[in-house]
Amino acid sequence: MKDVRALVLTGFGLNCDWETAHILNLAGAQARRVHLNAIISGAQRLEDYHIFVIGGGFSWADEHGAGVILAMRLKHRLRDQILSFVDRGGLVLGICNGFQVLVNTGLLPGFQPGSWERQAALVTNDCGTFRDQWVHVVFNDQSPCVFTRGLEAMELPVRHGEGKFFAEPDVIERLEKNHQVVLRYATEDGHPAGGAFPANPNGSIHDIAGICDPTGRILGLMPHPEAFNHWTNHPDWTLEKERRRRAGEPLPEEGAGVLLFRNAVHFARTGEQFVA
Amino acid sequence: MAARLEIALKPHLFDAEGSGLCRMIHDYFGWHVGSARVIHVLMLDAGLNESELEAVRTEIFTNPVTQVSSYGPLARPEDFDWAVWVGFRPGVRDTAGSVALEAITDFLQRPMPPHAAAYTSKLVLLRDAPLSREQVDTIARELLANDIIQQWRIYAPKDWDSRHGIGFILPKVDLAHTPTVQTLAIGSDDELKRLSDERNLALHPRDIPVIRAYFLRPEVVEERRKVGLDLPTDVELEAISQARSDHCNHNTFRGKFFYRDPDSGEEAVVDSLFRTCIEAPTLKIQKKKDWVVSVLWDNAGVARFDDDHHYVITGETHNSPSNMEAYGGALTGIVGVYRDPMGTGKGSRLIAGLYGYCVGPRDYAGPLRPHLHPRRLLDGVVEGVRDGGNKHGVPTVFGNLLHHPSYLGKCLVFVGAIGLMPKTVKGEPTERKKPNPGDLIIMAGGRVGKDGIHGVTASSESYSEHTPAGHVQIGDPYTQKKMHDFLLEARDEGLITFITDNGGGGLSSSIGESAQMAGGALVELDKVPLKYEGLDVWEIWVSESQERMTVAVRPENLDRFMELARLHEVECTVIGRYEDSGKLHLTYEGRTCAYLDLSFFREDFPQWEFDAQWRSPQSRGLTEPVLSEPQDFGRLLCDLLASPNLCSREWIQRQYDHEVQGTSAVKFLVGRDRDVPNDAAVIRPVLSSNRGLAVTQALHPTYSQIDTYHMVEASIDECVRRLLAVGGILDEIGGVDNFCWPNIQYDPEKNPDGRYKAAQLVRANWALRDMCLAYGIPLLSGKDSMYVDGHLPGAYGERHKVSGLPTMQFTATTVVPDVNRCLTMDVKMPGDAVYVLGITRNELGASEYYEHLGHVGLNVPRARPEDFLKLYRALEQAVDRGLCASCRAVGRGGLAVHGAMTAFAGRLGMTWDLSRVPVDGDLPPSALLFSESLGRFLVTVPPDRIAAFEELMKGLPAGRIGEVIEAPVFRIRASDGKELLNVPLERLRQAWCGGKG
Repeated sequence: MKDVRALVLTGFGLNCDWETAHILNLAGAQARRVHLNAIISGAQRLEDYHIFVIGGGFSWADEHGAGVILAMRLKHRLRDQILSFVDRGGLVLGICNGFQVLVNTGLLPGFQPGSWERQAALVTNDCGTFRDQWVHVVFNDQSPCVFTRGLEAMELPVRHGEGKFFAEPDVIERLEKNHQVVLRYATEDGHPAGGAFPANPNGSIHDIAGICDPTGRILGLMPHPEAFNHWTNHPDWTLEKERRRRAGEPLPEEGAGVLLFRNAVHFARTGEQFVA
Repeated sequence: MAARLEIALKPHLFDAEGSGLCRMIHDYFGWHVGSARVIHVLMLDAGLNESELEAVRTEIFTNPVTQVSSYGPLARPEDFDWAVWVGFRPGVRDTAGSVALEAITDFLQRPMPPHAAAYTSKLVLLRDAPLSREQVDTIARELLANDIIQQWRIYAPKDWDSRHGIGFILPKVDLAHTPTVQTLAIGSDDELKRLSDERNLALHPRDIPVIRAYFLRPEVVEERRKVGLDLPTDVELEAISQARSDHCNHNTFRGKFFYRDPDSGEEAVVDSLFRTCIEAPTLKIQKKKDWVVSVLWDNAGVARFDDDHHYVITGETHNSPSNMEAYGGALTGIVGVYRDPMGTGKGSRLIAGLYGYCVGPRDYAGPLRPHLHPRRLLDGVVEGVRDGGNKHGVPTVFGNLLHHPSYLGKCLVFVGAIGLMPKTVKGEPTERKKPNPGDLIIMAGGRVGKDGIHGVTASSESYSEHTPAGHVQIGDPYTQKKMHDFLLEARDEGLITFITDNGGGGLSSSIGESAQMAGGALVELDKVPLKYEGLDVWEIWVSESQERMTVAVRPENLDRFMELARLHEVECTVIGRYEDSGKLHLTYEGRTCAYLDLSFFREDFPQWEFDAQWRSPQSRGLTEPVLSEPQDFGRLLCDLLASPNLCSREWIQRQYDHEVQGTSAVKFLVGRDRDVPNDAAVIRPVLSSNRGLAVTQALHPTYSQIDTYHMVEASIDECVRRLLAVGGILDEIGGVDNFCWPNIQYDPEKNPDGRYKAAQLVRANWALRDMCLAYGIPLLSGKDSMYVDGHLPGAYGERHKVSGLPTMQFTATTVVPDVNRCLTMDVKMPGDAVYVLGITRNELGASEYYEHLGHVGLNVPRARPEDFLKLYRALEQAVDRGLCASCRAVGRGGLAVHGAMTAFAGRLGMTWDLSRVPVDGDLPPSALLFSESLGRFLVTVPPDRIAAFEELMKGLPAGRIGEVIEAPVFRIRASDGKELLNVPLERLRQAWCGGKG
């Protein structure tokens, strides 16, 4: 079986790198935490990896807009490397701060690949402050996104102050038409939240929690799948434990977040685009 | 030429920041403001040409999707009724400004001129705001700015200059001062005393003759002459002042107490509370417990987590600075305590943060005028810890909040930190460290400015109008997070022989203390990188500028260490080396400015002495109140649930990232609505393992009104029960004590009850010793913060001294062998049996119930550790065997309050029969429901596990009092069978949420 190598970006206030590497390993990848400057200096090369993850955190302390300065650095220092990585069929995943970075580079929504034009934004939550809460999300089965194939709904934590997805109506329309809206905030029964707080925790337009590029190989999302790496991450697991014990069912081990990474690893392993 | 860039959201977008401000103006003052919009201002003083300015505007600072920007004013007079500009005062940490400069440098790919700077500020436009200028000034002062660190200007449309707007405001620090080293005459003790007062050295009168004697000693004079020194320099006296401060030296806890209890005739001389009540019990316990790895000497304690890892824990307070500038003080506090695990052993990775706030009543409307109103103070503190913790990437997993009017004088801000280290690094035990002669001294992280000068001595004094504001700082989690990541890589490569943080006392403390371990140090203070020129040499030595660590590196490892520092973009500078000279030797531009024997810091200083006179509660006139039984228990319970100290604090924890690192196993807030505080939090710090670390905190300062001994007992016993309740192991509980106490030095005018407060401290420490020995809890770490007093202006120009209640917050940790065994407090399934474990007594003294009715009482809860432990062992077994479905340690508020919480957390009802509650004597319903007796739990057990559970509890106080039911009501029958209470869950929940649920 082909080795799937994943690069988890670190440095400059990014965090979530340990658990992101951990869940990638659970999903079958060989994950490595790599400092941004190690890529810029050439000590590490994106082309040696199949999956490139920009995880959560506060790059440059979120000053001057969350993800703005990291996006600028990627755009000006790694532009060609990233483009060729994507062209070769590499997968890019931006979680939370990483999603903010991807929209600020223009890699998302990426209507014209390689244009690096900003067309969407993640702005301050309508509630005005940082929130850590679990949300229900539903996935769009029409989406080309390779990370979410076969997934219908999931519970995941969101942890952000700037997560309200915003774009002008024409951009939203195009995103919807292309099925680039991959996941939406939803109610417990699986319907989109309809903007209602707290099911939609930040006021995102169309309840958008994550989008992909037209190829489906670049995904950005605000919820943290890597924070549901173990079943005890879930807020209700002690109730679920009682339910299962009384029903004579075994206790699980993994959290549902692993599924998304397993999809990515599967795609990278079987995808034909890869030269590596 | 400076430029001013203004950035705003596009007009058709919702301004969440402005909308939040309108809401706050309404909440705080009841004033209407229709809308507020915020313009972010960036003043650039970096010599950029026009095309560069335009490039950074569009490429960095303006999001084309959401923002508009201009180098001219964006606001027009018709856009606002009032405009308020708010910016930092010179020298205040402006992380956004420095990040802007970093981004510009990176974007333009050229170095900036040496004095280039960027300053951020904001302009708030208020519309539909029928307010007077005075009202707007109040909004600026009370909500938008704190005059200690910020400045503001107010504009009406008629004042507005449409061409220049706010103009150019560059808060540049310009000291125009040539650094000097002064020598100071100390001809007599009085002269040194005067000097101490003038320079704010806070030298203790008993230390003064010792200091003078040292400098007059002939051999000292002779040695000093050889290096060109004669009289003591300002650098030396400042260094001594720092080293001798109560904050660094813990003179109070190491003092001698003459304790007397005239009522009982008991007398005792306590020679060092630290030695007798903290060190001795901990060492005794450490001998029996091999998991206690390193205690009592380092920045934090170290305990075994599993075969390959240790955890590291400490707790701190940051009271004085937070009292002055709540946001900056609390932010600096959490970021500061995070440096302790980073500087423990060879360094650890941060895995959890903790908080505890004690503040005045949120709705205080009395005549006293604290510097910050408790509401604003709490809001600021909450936000400070939020930004510090979240931006550090550390989950903030647990916390406390307590309101009491005694904290109007000075608030308490507790911050705690837990780290994780591998057992060994390159074959060496990670918890050990020692600088060797020849090792280079490296300062890593931020630069040095005037920040925090005399912070240590200021926190060793009471707050008054003369307290220098210079000790207030704003921490920078971004810089520190970069340093954290860098230092761990350096550690893992074996490059660090010693590391410690620069907190209180700055280099003076970190190098002063480590020089003792190495046997000497030579430091070239002109090598220390500065934020701006013009600092005096002594200021460089004692500055408390944040985000700095002191690291010892062998010369042969320097190149690799510096290479890693460059990779992570962390500034590191060699500023000296450790030696075996026995001296602390400081130079500036080649000339010696301090030359002190290290032995001088260790010897000869007289112990502080305190008279401690206890008065028993009875002799102070405390009695039980004369009260008949209430008739409306339902309403009473709702009102208790709504009380400020029991109601929901979801709004705080929700703002804290408590799940970063992916380790969360039991969250602080649990239940179907995920908002009820659980007994403890559990994390799974090694992701590939199911082993857990449980942590909890407790404090009970209201019990100090009766007896501080029982205040401490209650806090420790509650921590033990809380850890058991989540599935923790009894034999591996470690503790952290954080004492916050008013001044205990008797003074007939300034502190007439000083002797009593000293006796309270002695009794609290006795309880700490007794409880730790009884439960086998080593104190992994601890700190004391004295002088919790404030002098507040009253209605007529008078000042009132307000002393905080004597407070000890206890933090406790233990391991959980497998997180799958963990329990939470919410009831799980209808049909489960409800048990009360432990005996309920008539112990309503200083309870929430009495406080609600305006009484203190006398019968404060007492611990009975030997009896309690039998029950605790049995419960530990029950949890181990998976017999329970939920578990709650009963604490503040008593059985009814905690029963209600477990029910609405589980969205299930309960029926109770009080005749089944294990009791001591004949108790009225009010005592059964609201007594705060220690040693108790509420447990639910599924029907098929009842037999096994009851078998385990045989002979122990365990009463099956009722059942979990589907119907959403809480029903309680009295011992005589009469229904006492029958309340819908929704009503209980609404009361507890304050209508906000």
